[in-house]
Amino acid sequence: MSRSPSLPLKPEPAAGRAPEGDRIVVGVADLQVSRDPGKAIITYALGSCIGVTLYDPVAKVAGMLHFMLPESSVSAEKAAANPAMFGDAGLPILFEKVIAAGAKRERLVVCAAGGAEVLADDGHFRIGSRNRTILRKIFWKLNLLLAAEETGGQHSRTLTIRLSDGQITIRSQGKESVLWPR
Amino acid sequence: MASLNDTIAALDRLPALPATSLQLISMLAGGGRDADLREVERIVSRDEAVAASVLRRANSAALGMRGRVAGISDAIRRLGTRELCRIALETQTSGLLANAGRSYGLRRGALSQSALGGAIAADALARSHTDQGVRVDREIAFVAALLRDIGKLAIDAVAGPDALEAIAAAADTRPFLAYEREAFGADHAELGAILCERWSLPTAIIQAVRGHHEPPSSPVEPLTDVVHAADCVARWAGLGLGCDGLMYPFDSGARERLGTTRDELEALVADILAATAPEQTPGILAPGNTLRRSA
Repeated sequence: MSRSPSLPLKPEPAAGRAPEGDRIVVGVADLQVSRDPGKAIITYALGSCIGVTLYDPVAKVAGMLHFMLPESSVSAEKAAANPAMFGDAGLPILFEKVIAAGAKRERLVVCAAGGAEVLADDGHFRIGSRNRTILRKIFWKLNLLLAAEETGGQHSRTLTIRLSDGQITIRSQGKESVLWPR
Repeated sequence: MASLNDTIAALDRLPALPATSLQLISMLAGGGRDADLREVERIVSRDEAVAASVLRRANSAALGMRGRVAGISDAIRRLGTRELCRIALETQTSGLLANAGRSYGLRRGALSQSALGGAIAADALARSHTDQGVRVDREIAFVAALLRDIGKLAIDAVAGPDALEAIAAAADTRPFLAYEREAFGADHAELGAILCERWSLPTAIIQAVRGHHEPPSSPVEPLTDVVHAADCVARWAGLGLGCDGLMYPFDSGARERLGTTRDELEALVADILAATAPEQTPGILAPGNTLRRSA
């Protein structure tokens, strides 16, 4: 489901919030990478799913993954068709895509949002928290650290990253907050 | 905020489920698989939007049929009564829900997509439950799940701008239905059930819509358990998530009665996302996309 980075580069970075037309939308089980400083990458309604952003502030390359389930072992067929559905399959691809688009791993700023849980799950399904766990496992393997995260709870979140400066915002319950830079 | 009387009065202003759907549901409830194909053809052909959906589906690559269908009669023969009924119900419910959920902060089409995702999940869960010896009619499960959030139309009609977002922002760990009851005198599940009663839908569907977030444990309603689990599966697939987010419980009693494992439900989450993607809405599980049961 991954697509090519948005090209070409625009000379002027966007000021303030990017207009709707300049948004690259990441669907559920989808990933997008861009190095267009006039764009913002957005994903809507993260519930138990997790949205992950990688950003290189020098190359101004950003990528976002919206994965739904932690482990691809649940459906090898689905994972082959769309690895972005699963954390363990999608995260390494997101990482590869941003590097291929010109980012340097040592400069990457990594953030995450989502991983909410249904009420009274009584520990049986815990999809949100298992998504959070796989995120940490994969980043541990990739030797990456989370710069900021807003995860857990029961709320849905909309996550946006602005290419011009890497600012990450979260909108939830009608309120917008900046996740990065802090 | 609105009183219960205001909320009930708002139901009068809502559009009704189209007659085509009501006739088909009645047919399904009476054992639709034996229904007269000519009778279904007559009902389906009367509605242009439904007929167009039927033709589109019959010609879709997903069905793997050879050659394009010539007309509605050809399409109807190829698809069969069960699939025809589903396409008609999907199309008309989708029309009714297209703009629904605004007060929950949902984007256009999000509630239609969630309705369909839940319906596909309910079909698979009904089949699985039946395989385990508790018979749940797949067609009725599909319809009940398709209509489960119809009461959100009533909440849209009475909730002021941003009212639900403010409620959600101040919420603690109670289910969202409790806040709806405080603010509007009734929750969307109850309001949906009242709408279904007004449309004279079968009792089992009314009960499932009413209990889809709080399935009763006594007496147990297997159909309601199925629709409840299907609703959770749709949420895990990210469908229909507004400001109410995941503020609904997964009832442990229903989970135990259904006997579904985590792997099975996760496989279903993956299935319904693929089936409800905007670019392709095959409507029913493609062959092989069944609810997988672990050995």
